[in-house]
Amino acid sequence: MKITVSINLGGYSFNIDEDAYTELKRYLKNLGLHFAGEESSSEILSDIEARMSELFRAKLTAYKQVITMDDVRNVMSVLGTPEDISDNEGTSARDKFSSPGYHRMYRDPDNRLIGGVCAGMGAYWNIEPWILRIIFLALILAGGLSILVYLILYIVLPEAKTTAQKIEMKGEPVNIHNIKDSVKKEFDTVRKNMKL
Amino acid sequence: MDLENTKAQMRKGILEYCILSVLSRSSCYASDIIKELKEAKVIVVEGTLYPLLTRQKNAGLLSYRWEESQQGPPRKYYELTSEGKEYLTDLDKSWDDLVESVNMIRTR
Repeated sequence: MKITVSINLGGYSFNIDEDAYTELKRYLKNLGLHFAGEESSSEILSDIEARMSELFRAKLTAYKQVITMDDVRNVMSVLGTPEDISDNEGTSARDKFSSPGYHRMYRDPDNRLIGGVCAGMGAYWNIEPWILRIIFLALILAGGLSILVYLILYIVLPEAKTTAQKIEMKGEPVNIHNIKDSVKKEFDTVRKNMKL
Repeated sequence: MDLENTKAQMRKGILEYCILSVLSRSSCYASDIIKELKEAKVIVVEGTLYPLLTRQKNAGLLSYRWEESQQGPPRKYYELTSEGKEYLTDLDKSWDDLVESVNMIRTR
């Protein structure tokens, strides 16, 4: 026995197994992230949902009324992962967007201990953040001035929020390929978190 | 060199052209276009088509209308605009030129 969920996909109602629903939701979320930079991303997504709904309907019969994990996986392979799609896409607007190796210091929210100042400086100079943290701590213990320095840096340095900023922080050129790589990394973290 | 990557690069350029060519014969909804592109083996994953259609529509090459369907919800039928037709004529010409150039080199 399995729990099913009722969903509306492209204007059609489906009963779908709970595990299949989780997988489908994750897939649609990833596609959403992939197309987030497009001018009409919601339109693209609703077109894709309409196609999914058509593919799912073809899988249902009088004796099979529930969408299963296999159906979802099959539809995912027909439509392709975000990575497959960008490999095969025609000239995308984002392909043209590429700035030369722009290098800026940011605060790094992903590796932060307190405010991400040391992590950001570490990413900028390619030094392990803990070395900088020890230096900061030593200076605090020695003179007490560096708490103020830390606060000033915290205020002055912007936080690296977007993927492009995170790449700039490390001094790599910003283009579609390494944006794709870091987005992929983020997907993997999300995937891992969802499994836990 | 990665053969699959080279092939993907080649397909990239012609996919846009193929979509316009399919639509030059009659207006279609996305699944009809996919069927033709799959038969001709110019598309690997279906998801590639949708962003292209939307970009072409935003660029004024295509327009669409909603049409009722017997089998489900209304479908989006795409057709070439007059601008799209001109664009396609240009692409036809440049495709012929390309084929001629490649053949010239291959048969030399």
